[in-house]
Amino acid sequence: MRWKSAAAVRQGLLISLLLGATLSATPALAQGPPSEIPVTIENNRFVPSEVKVKAGKPFVLVVTNRDAKSEEFESKDLRIEKVIPAGKTANIRVRALKPGTYPFFGEFNPKTAQGQIVAE
Amino acid sequence: MGATFVIVLREGFEAALLLGILYAYLAMIGRAQSRRYVTAGAVLALGASIAMGVAVSVISGPLADLGPDVIAIGVIFLAVVLLTWHGWWMGRHAREIRGEVQRRIDEAHARQRLWLVGLIAFTGVFREGAETVLFLWGLLVQMDDAASWRALAGGVAGLVGAAILGWVVFQGGRRLSVQRFFAATSVLLLLLAAGLLSAGVGKLQGLGLLPAGDPVWDTSWLLDDHGALGGVLTGLVGYRARPTALEILAYGSYIVVAGTAFFPAVFRRKTHGGAIAPVANRQR
Repeated sequence: MRWKSAAAVRQGLLISLLLGATLSATPALAQGPPSEIPVTIENNRFVPSEVKVKAGKPFVLVVTNRDAKSEEFESKDLRIEKVIPAGKTANIRVRALKPGTYPFFGEFNPKTAQGQIVAE
Repeated sequence: MGATFVIVLREGFEAALLLGILYAYLAMIGRAQSRRYVTAGAVLALGASIAMGVAVSVISGPLADLGPDVIAIGVIFLAVVLLTWHGWWMGRHAREIRGEVQRRIDEAHARQRLWLVGLIAFTGVFREGAETVLFLWGLLVQMDDAASWRALAGGVAGLVGAAILGWVVFQGGRRLSVQRFFAATSVLLLLLAAGLLSAGVGKLQGLGLLPAGDPVWDTSWLLDDHGALGGVLTGLVGYRARPTALEILAYGSYIVVAGTAFFPAVFRRKTHGGAIAPVANRQR
């Protein structure tokens, strides 16, 4: 089992290296306020259901829930889960994305509340 | 009705399973009378969930935007620490509670365990609690037509379903032999904690606090984590259809490191070369 603990040590080192890389990369966050993109929830749907963003730049989704009940904005790919109570607005920080399509949905109304972020 | 049933069942599943295991655990170590620690943890978590639900509905601004995320990440990592601590302790003391005769672990050890078990119950219920409270609350305020009544009935049925599941785990767990019970729950708790750790890492990546990168593989064609089964496996063992490198790393290294701590007997047997070494090895 000795090789296993050696592997664990290597993995631990890798984690600390990655953590170090993040810490040194954080000044990038300080470059100006990220752009805000409004989205509304109406009748259990996202409006608009497709959001276009610039790739490589973090942004903020400003999601307003106009319905009378809470909804959860969720994106599996972006690792975001955010409950937005009825009539409330939530600012959801989204990391810089590579070009591509990132689906999101409303966890409480998954059939109708569907949408996607397109980064280009 | 079906949709709300599935949503509440999924939210309640993990908590119910954990509570079932904890109650069975107390029965197994001969301390069934100490159930109140688990119950207290669960009830406190329910209260905290409702408070959190109300707070999220009332407050706004930066606190509402970041607060829930910070709390969610805090609870996840707290749960990982508690489960690891508990699994490590179980690994050390497995021998003491091995035989049916020796089921009762000694008083001091047990007392030290109880608040920890209560805390695990708290994190298990609180993790999805606020979400479920807000979801059910949303159903309650819309009681204007037959469809919404059916939705509420579905939600309540989901809660009952989760409770039944916990009960089945409790009853089934108690009927297992002591060794089987501890082996099965140790494996399950190891996977649960590994899943929680990688979920915490994923959340930090989502917030941009850890580098994200591309998914390493994509198994959504096989089992999508949006679906019912995939969703349950996500909560239970940390299944991800499109995991990032850091999540895989966190999961894998946790399994290796915590696995050696949870199952010292398995590893000791190999290093010592003896066939039945774990029983022969005296621990403290």
